[in-house]
Amino acid sequence: MQRIALLFGALLLTSVAAHGDGANDALADDAVAAAAPVNREPTDAPAQSADSVSLGGQMEDIKHSLVELKRDLAVLEEDLLFPASSQVAVFLSMDVGEFFALDSVTLKLNGKDVTHYLYTQKQADALFRGGVQRLYVGNVKQGQNQLTAFFTGRGPEGRDYKRATTVTFEKSFEPSYVELKISDSTAKYQPEFVATVSP
Amino acid sequence: MKFAKWVAAACVCMPALCHAVAVSDVAPDFTLKSVDGKNTRLKEFRGQVVLINFWASWCGPCRQEMPLLERIDERYKGAGFTVLGVNVEGKPGPAREVASKAGVSFPVLVDENQKVSELYDLESMPSSVVVDRDGVVRYVHKGYKPGDEAKYLEVVKKLIGK
Repeated sequence: MQRIALLFGALLLTSVAAHGDGANDALADDAVAAAAPVNREPTDAPAQSADSVSLGGQMEDIKHSLVELKRDLAVLEEDLLFPASSQVAVFLSMDVGEFFALDSVTLKLNGKDVTHYLYTQKQADALFRGGVQRLYVGNVKQGQNQLTAFFTGRGPEGRDYKRATTVTFEKSFEPSYVELKISDSTAKYQPEFVATVSP
Repeated sequence: MKFAKWVAAACVCMPALCHAVAVSDVAPDFTLKSVDGKNTRLKEFRGQVVLINFWASWCGPCRQEMPLLERIDERYKGAGFTVLGVNVEGKPGPAREVASKAGVSFPVLVDENQKVSELYDLESMPSSVVVDRDGVVRYVHKGYKPGDEAKYLEVVKKLIGK
């Protein structure tokens, strides 16, 4: 209950922060207005510069707090929506990609479609260059679960290619991570689709 | 506690689920397959002004509007503008046929499960949404009658010049 109160508090603060630029502008305007009379005093130049330095520091502090708040909110939101005891996250990575041009991935968790993702050329390139995509985050029951990933794309010699890989994993009280890896098998001249689970 | 969790989750998710696209909103991102088989993502057009036109082959005004959109696309594509046609029927066949008859060269995408149409909360056919270079919706137009293209031109020219 305390967490929920925290979340609402954080949401409220974030909505204020969403107008952060405006608020900052207003703050800056106030500060400028406050500083204006000082500007007119030619003898107070060092004091003015000290004021602007401290104001800049305050602004930095506020921005820093805002970033921290957003981070905490994201963590809290994830904890609330996907508690560790039921969380499963699926990641996709790709190695080389000479024998396979990725078009789409469909995920089935315990026989139910949970996500379908289409890849543009730029996204596929990002994966070839070492990017890792978080495909899915969701909740599953503790115990045995089954994940099936269907990959479609262009295989060797530009032919339409569809393959699936299935992994069965035991969900414990810790978050489960599944890595789907597409790699080239130079021995077989075929792409390979491997799913590994941790822990 | 469980109920409270669901309420909190609903509060987090509801604005995203229930909000129809309106001017000044960030245009919801999507990836769709085009009639020529290429996957196209809206977000990858950041930096360009985009007119998203939702249409169907059975809709007369849509077919009437298409060559005019092609003309606007041809005229301004060098200045950072593109039209994305989104066919809501879910099958590439009719979309390809109509687009080819109209001589369309801009990407024509197929909204297979009508998810994008739902995302943009379409109420009429055709519907057009103009998105600026920062991905923000600047104009929403429902339906089409001759002369409406002048409004598109006005909005597009204004956004390109920014």
